[in-house]
This record gives sequence, C-alpha cells and structure tokens, in this order.
Amino acid sequence: MLTYIARRLVTAVLILLGASFVVYQLTALSGDPLHDLRASNAPNKDQLIQQRIDLLNLDVPAPVRYFQWLGGAVRCVIPTQCDLGYAINGQPVTEALGRAMGMTILLVSAAAVLAIVIGVALGIVTALRQYSTLDYGVTFMAFLFFSLPVFWVAVLLKEFAAIGFNNFLRDPHIPLQTILLIGLVSAVVWFVCAAGTLPRRFGAAAIGFVLAAAVMWVLSATGWFATPGLGLAVIALTGTAIAFGTTLLAAGLRNRRALYAALASAGAGVVLYFPIQPLLAQATGLMIFLLAVATVLAGLAAGYLMGGYDRRQNMSAAAITAFLTGGLILLDRYMQAWPAYMDNSRINGRPIATIGSQTPNLRGDFWIHGLDTFTHLLLPTIALLLISLASYSRYARSSMLEIMNMDYIRTARAKGLSERTVVMRHAFRNALIPIATIVAFDIGGLIGGAVITENVFAFAGMGQLFIKSLERVDPNPVMGVFLVTGIVALVFNLIADLVYSALDPRVRVKA
Amino acid sequence: MRFGRTSKAIGVAAAAVLALSACATAGGGSEETGTAGGSQAGGSISVAETNAFSSFNSESAQGNVDINGKIAYMTRGGFYHIDNELNVVRNEEFGTYEKVSDDPLVVKYTVNEGVTWSDGTPVDAGDLLLTWLIESGYANDAKTNEDGKVTSGTSYFDYAGDTSGLALTDQPEVGDDGRSITLTYSKPYADWEIAFGGLSDGGIGAPAHVVAEKAGLADEQALVDLIQGLKRGDPDSPAEANDQLQKVADFWNTGFDTKSLPSDTSLYLSSGPFVVDSITPDQSITLVRNDSYTWGPDPKVDEITVRFIGAAPDQVQALKNGEVDIIAPQPSADTVELLQAIDGVNVDVDDQLAYDHIDLNYSGVFADPDVRQAFMKVVPRQAIVDRIVKPLKDDAAPLNSQFFVPAQDAYAESAENNGSSAYDKVDIDGARQLLDGREPEVRIMYNKDNPNRADAYALIQESAEKAGFKIVDGGLGASDWSAALGDGTYDATIFGWTNPGVGVSGVPQIFKTGAGSNFNGFSNKKADELMDELIVTTDKAKQDEIIMQIDKIVWDSYYGLPLFQSVGLDAYNSNRIEGVKYQPNQTGVFWNFWEWGVKE
Repeated sequence: MLTYIARRLVTAVLILLGASFVVYQLTALSGDPLHDLRASNAPNKDQLIQQRIDLLNLDVPAPVRYFQWLGGAVRCVIPTQCDLGYAINGQPVTEALGRAMGMTILLVSAAAVLAIVIGVALGIVTALRQYSTLDYGVTFMAFLFFSLPVFWVAVLLKEFAAIGFNNFLRDPHIPLQTILLIGLVSAVVWFVCAAGTLPRRFGAAAIGFVLAAAVMWVLSATGWFATPGLGLAVIALTGTAIAFGTTLLAAGLRNRRALYAALASAGAGVVLYFPIQPLLAQATGLMIFLLAVATVLAGLAAGYLMGGYDRRQNMSAAAITAFLTGGLILLDRYMQAWPAYMDNSRINGRPIATIGSQTPNLRGDFWIHGLDTFTHLLLPTIALLLISLASYSRYARSSMLEIMNMDYIRTARAKGLSERTVVMRHAFRNALIPIATIVAFDIGGLIGGAVITENVFAFAGMGQLFIKSLERVDPNPVMGVFLVTGIVALVFNLIADLVYSALDPRVRVKA
Repeated sequence: MRFGRTSKAIGVAAAAVLALSACATAGGGSEETGTAGGSQAGGSISVAETNAFSSFNSESAQGNVDINGKIAYMTRGGFYHIDNELNVVRNEEFGTYEKVSDDPLVVKYTVNEGVTWSDGTPVDAGDLLLTWLIESGYANDAKTNEDGKVTSGTSYFDYAGDTSGLALTDQPEVGDDGRSITLTYSKPYADWEIAFGGLSDGGIGAPAHVVAEKAGLADEQALVDLIQGLKRGDPDSPAEANDQLQKVADFWNTGFDTKSLPSDTSLYLSSGPFVVDSITPDQSITLVRNDSYTWGPDPKVDEITVRFIGAAPDQVQALKNGEVDIIAPQPSADTVELLQAIDGVNVDVDDQLAYDHIDLNYSGVFADPDVRQAFMKVVPRQAIVDRIVKPLKDDAAPLNSQFFVPAQDAYAESAENNGSSAYDKVDIDGARQLLDGREPEVRIMYNKDNPNRADAYALIQESAEKAGFKIVDGGLGASDWSAALGDGTYDATIFGWTNPGVGVSGVPQIFKTGAGSNFNGFSNKKADELMDELIVTTDKAKQDEIIMQIDKIVWDSYYGLPLFQSVGLDAYNSNRIEGVKYQPNQTGVFWNFWEWGVKE
C-alpha cells in the first residue's frame, strides 16, 4: 500500500510540474503584462516599466521565468519559505491567495458536503424505488435545477429568500392562505414519497397537509421566527427519532443492543442539555470541535459497553446518534442567540444577506459570528447546492441501479438476508465506489470554479482572483490559483483511489 | 487488550473535557450576546461603492481611483470643499487662505493652531510644503519625447493630477509660526482659489513627519530643509538626481498602497472627521469618528462603512435588503425603475458634470484624419441618447461641445460654431466616400461591466459596420478598463470624463500635448498655446472665449465625439437616514457626509 501511495505521489508531482509549465506559458504568452504602462503618458513611465520588469522578472523569457517561479514555489514545502512571486499590483501572491482561498473554501465547503450527502441519499432512494412517482419527481427536479443558470437562481434567491424573508421577519405572522399553500405543497410531497396503494398515498397526503399546516400555524402563532428555539421537548423527540433512524440503517431495529446504545446516547444528550449551557455560553471554535470529538467518543463508548456479538454496529449507531443529538443542542444554542443577532444595530432586523461573507464590524460572541456567517453563506450555498445536487443524485441512482441487478445481490436475497442488510451492506457500499471518483473530481473543480457565484454574491474568492489576473496577463496569481486547484484535484484523486481500495477489496489485491 | 482500549478511550475523553475549560472565552458570555456592537450614539451608515479601496494615497498614479479619493475626502482636513451648487466653501476652522496681492499673485495659507493628525502631531507648514512640492512638480526636470519617454532628468512624484497651476509658484515662504506658507505666482493664475488644499483633491494629504521617517530622513524638519533646499527643476539642464528626494518620492508613490489595514497606524493617519477603523479586503472599509477632530463640521453619525459591490443590480438588492443605506450606481433605466419600485427609498436623478464620449486615437488606424472623420460620421449619437438617456430624462439631447454643458452660458454659442452640427445625423454614405473602399479594423475599448457603455458600443458597432468599418470588441472589466486607457491596445474608447465643475485647469489636463489624461494623443500647437493663455486668465468671459476657440480646434481635428451628458443617480433608505443630497461632481453623495444622520 505504501509503495502504491508513493508511486501515486510521484506521478502527481510530475503531472503538476507538466501542467504548471503549460499553464504558465499559456498565461505569460496570452498578452503583454506591461500593456497598461507602455503607452502611458506618465512622465516617469520608463521608471514604472522598469519597476514592473524587476518585480515580475519580465526581462527573462517565459520558459526560463517558469523555472524561477518554480524555484520559489518549491520552497512552499516549508510554509514560511513560500514564495509565489508578486501580482502585477505588487501584492505578494501568497497573501492574495491565502485570502482568496479562505473565502472560496468558506463558500464551497458547506455546499459540497450538503450536495454529496443529499444527492447520494436522493439517488439511492430513487434507485430503490425505480419508476415510482418519487423517482420521476426527483428526476424532474434534478434536471430542472441542473439546467438553471446560477446567476439567475442567485438573483431570485436574493429577491425572495433574502429580501422577501427579511420583510416577513418584520412581522413573522403567516397568513392563512400561505399556511394552506404550504400544507398543499407538503401534501404533494408526502403523496409523491409515499408508497403503496392509492388510498394509502392519499392518506399520507392528508397527514402531510395537516402536519405541515399545524406546524406552520404553531410557529406563526408563537412568534417562533422572531425567537426561534428547539427546547428540550423537541430535542428529546428528535433525538429519539434519530436513535431509531440510525439504528435502523446501521444495525436494524432487531439489534436491541444497538437501539439501546443509540437511545442512551440521545438520552445523554437530553440530560446534558441544561448542564452544558453555561459552558456553551463561553464557546470558542476549538471548544465546539473538542465537544464534537468528545460526543462521538462518548457514543462509541456507549456502543462498546453495550456489548453483544457485533459491537461495531452498536458503536456506529450510538456514535452517529450522539453526534446528531449534539448537533441539535448546538442548533438550539444558535437559535437562542438569534434574537440578539436580529437586534444588533448592524443587522437591524434584516438577517439574511445578499452580498459578502460577513457584516462589517459586527461585534459579538462566537454564536453571533456563527449566525452572521450562516446568514451570509445561506444563499450562495443554496445556489451552489441546487446545481451540484442534480449530478450527484443522478450518478448515485444509476450506480445503485446497476449494483441492485448484480448476481450477488440476488444471492444475498436468496440466502435470506433482510432487505436492510442487502441494501446497506451489499449494495450501498458498492454503489459508492464510482461516486467517490466523481466527488474527488468535483471538489477540485468547486474550489477553482465558483466564479459566477462569487461574482454575484460579491465574494472575493479564487474564481475572481483567477479571472481578474488572467485579464491582466498576470501569471503569478493565475499560477497560485492553478497550484491550489491542481494540488486539490490530485490529492482528491489520490484519496478517491485510497477510498476505492477501502471500499473494494479487489482493487487492494491488484495494488 | 480490551481493557487497554477502554481505558484509552476514557483517557482521551477525559483529556478532551479538561481541554474544554482551557479554550473557553475569557469572561462570561451570555451577557455579551445582548449588547449591540460599537458605540451607537449617532448610529452608522453603510454606503455601496463600485470600486474596491486600494490606497491611502488617492493622488498618486496608482492610487488615483474614485473610492480612494472619497475615503481621503472623509479622513483629511482641507482649506475648502465644493458644495452641491458648485460653490467653493472654505473651512476657516481648519485654516485660512487669503490673496495677499494681485500682482504678483500672492496667496497665504495658514493652518489653525490645534489642528493635528490623529497621532497628535500638528498639521503644520511641513505638511503644506510637501503637498505643494508634490502638486507643483517643482523639482521635476524630466524631459519627455513624443511617446512620453523620459529622455533626460528625473521625475520624482508620480502625481496623477495637473501640475500646471502650482508650477507657476516659486519656493514657498514658511511663516514664522511654522503653520503657514505663502505662494507667489509668477503669472496671474485663473484658478488660484481652488489651486491648493481642497478636500476633493485629497486635502492636505501627506503627513510630512511620516513620509520623512519612512524615507529614512531624521525627522520632519529634515524633510522641510530638503524641500527648501531644492531648486526649480529645469528640463533643459537637468540636475543630478536627488537621492534623498527620490526616496521620499518612492515612498509617497507606492508606500500608501494597500488593500488591507496596515499594522503600522502611521500609514493611515487622519486629519479629518473620520479615521479608518478596519478593512475587509475587496469587501468593505469602515471609518469611525476621529476623536481629536474639532476643526470643521461635526459629523452626525459615528461610523461610515463603505461596501464594494460591482454591479448595479446587486447594489439595488443590497439597498433593498438594508445591507447598505446609500447607493450611487451608474444610472440606467432599469436601475431607476427598480429603485423607484422600492418603498421607503428616495431616488435622485439629475444632471451630472460628467459626459460620455468616444475618443479616437491619433495613431494606428485612426492616424488618417479621413478615417477619423468617417468614423465620427457613423456614430449614431441621437440613437445612443434615445437608448440610454431618454428613458431616464425626457429632454435629453446629444452633447455638442467637448468643454461646456448646456447649463453653462457659453454652451449654445460654442456648439453652434464648433462644427458639431455635421455629426447630428449618421451619414453612412459620407463615411463610405471618405473611406474610399478601405475597411479599417477598429478596436473599441470600454467598460463592459457598465451597461451604458456596452449599449453605446453595440449601437456604434452596428452603425459603423454599415459603412465598412470592422469593429473589434475590446471591452474590459470594471477593474481593468481604466488601467488600459492610453495604452495603445485599442483605436477608440468610450468612457466618461468627470470635470470638477469649477475652474478651468481641467482643460489642459485632458487636451494639452502629453498631459496626464490625454489618452488619445491629441496634440495641437495652437490649442496648447491657447491653453497656456487660459490658465493665466482670471476673467470669466475671456476664459469662455478661449475655450470656445479650443473647442473648435478639437472638433476640426476629428478628436472624437461627446455623446451625452451623464445623468446622475443616487438612492438612499429614507426610512432610516436623512441628510443625503445629490451632488453633480466627482465627490458624489459623499460631499456632505457630515450632514448624514440616522433617523430616530
């Protein structure tokens, strides 16, 4: 395995070298980096030109200049020694790149994770119920979103999800017809999702209608949108549901030990809800991270202590439940900070933002800043999500369909395995293998490619840096962006291959 | 083994729990949640701007971007500002200036006692001297050839403005109190009242003590001594380059350029009502009240945040969503319509001093006057006005002078005599005759992110191609087109000029041979002579007469065409703020920022 990784790394470095040479030449030769000075009428024009030539080593031919650049770039192995040269305006590329990279990662990471999780889940579910109304519905929506231009989605989102929703928040009261409309939409969704006979599906639709309308009515009547929160009751209910859900998927409800472990994790979360509040009031990012680690460890411990013949099942069910319940408590804490955030004079009761990544000069604690990031990232994340969701769900669906028709699935069924075991153990894992490659490609692409979204939402990220530098014939920032996207793409390809061997023993044997 | 794993897990968990106590925020948290950010007595106002802040020096060639000038306007003291009726309003609390004598013209500038930079250092004669040196080009002795290449001598400060006014002054005399300088002009100078220290030109922009220190001089006095020891630069007998002065100039030229807030606070000292508090690169810049400031109008708000949003629709949505309170996007019918549909937003649509124009290079494909004339014949000016300005302003008509706007008395006469009537209508046949079968390829550069320019380009392209021109789209993005001006990569360019509205020294800045903003290479001996005469003429009627002559020369040499007078637009959230007034010149809505207030 080690030789395999080493071999892959060497190949990756060679690919990076070749590609960076080509990109450098293409950028350097695409125009004249002195063009803005050449015909300038400034009396000290020659001096300015000389300054820029010195700054960017323009007196050296581009192929040689590449190696000068490479000399600096190679030293990036030691982070403090990094030298990626200067942009045309004299700014060090490492500085510009660091800033842009932070912005882009901020922008795309949530969208990427959500798109993968939701997309794959949708794909699997639609594959399991091929040619059902649900399948057709999801397929229709997937293609609809896939074909929407992102800038248009962005403008619509700004108009309705930001401006419209903020207007609504001034008086968070939902009128009756809107409640009914939401109920109807919910009814349609339930109808589509439900399986079985027509009367049963209409029954589901009725439940969906009543449920959604009731929830909306309660939320509206209690002014929930102004002072949101989950409360202990909702956390306890949802936690129990999560415990049952994860056990169902990870171990099957017949595995009582797993179910008890999961329920114990959820219960621990509920018990700890009040004691943890004073600690959360002083939260920092590091603390939340450590708490998350502790939560997962506690879940694992709970599963382990429950014993039984297959502890791994207990542990994963309990750990996932613990993590999600912890997430609920976190969400609840963010909601507690919401009224303070809304009242902040810089927010002025209009939380959902249309531009930028933060409210300038917002002062507040960890939770206020967390909410601020959330309100700024919400719209661009939705815009990116809608578009990448489609491809994931399609890939996952076709991959799952292919697996479900395999001989070994029939064998598994024939030997009497439960449908859960067949789907989760035998089909799902194998269906993930091709998706791993696509995910790897997409993450590389996402980091370099959110150009339009960055533009519409006034995010100064990698895409903007790349485009603007390219327009100025400024190779150094372009190379910086290329280096980052190139490395990310290669690393994720490597990860994909490693995940391959983890998921598919046949690959391991070959390597 | 099992026991080992369990104890390990417990151990890690215990360590993690212990670590949590270490990484909690200092002090209690929940009370802080309730407090609103910052001192909010006067409230804060957020303004959207198109360009991103890039330098604390708005007067250098690199830093000369509108937003940098606006930040300087709010963070600098100055002797006067221009109000929205284009009057010169002096700020006697900052300092005074008076004409001591008419012949020779002598003007004395005095900074009041107690006026300081935000680090406590007084604003004094050293600062005035340095600003004078930069804006007068006194020490420069560079000689340039026709291409603008320096052939001999040195040009020190890379000043973006026109030096021709203050170049008439001799080495200033520093007053005994060390707070005044006296400028003596060698000739009468038309614009003496707005020649020096105005807020819209960056005020007294360079803190001499900082520049001295950064340039490696001992202290401000050393810089003063250096300046006072300088001889007027003579391009015909250039002196040896002055190393010390070169260092001072090098620092001034680039030392204040930054996209983020420098850790060295001396780089952004303020002598005005506000001081820069924080910058998020390419996103926003926040100014807060300068506590020591007492010399001038007292701003009502405590904080002004400028956010950088490129596209007009995005600005409108940000205003609608309350993220910004004031926007002043490039007006278009769509934008005005969008804005007028928003409740609680006050929209001002009015004339500007700026005008859009298409300039033809006196080189390349347009070196031939016939080609220039042919091109001018095919520019559909009426159609452009109908498309761009009419939807905003019913009585709009093409602008027929390169120098006057209809609001000025001299416009009608100048427009009648300068030959502009030949280009009232598109004349495809006339253009074809002039081209005589040639099919010149014309690359037109414009700001493609500006919908008005893109519209104008499209109309011109359509019309010009009928006459046989091959039009190449050379449009550049918002951040790049201005850098491309005058760089020879295009043959014609569509852009806008913004005149200061007062004074006549803007004329040579654009039309004089080799001047800083003469991007198309216009050069006419007679016009140069007239402009030399213009800047020493103090009589208004005589000034107009001279400009009319220049106007005719410019039209006769097929310079290009003025298209239309721009319509200005600003909009603000009138539910929340008040005191915002439309201003036709380049300072825009910022001109009376001290009157902006947040409603209760």
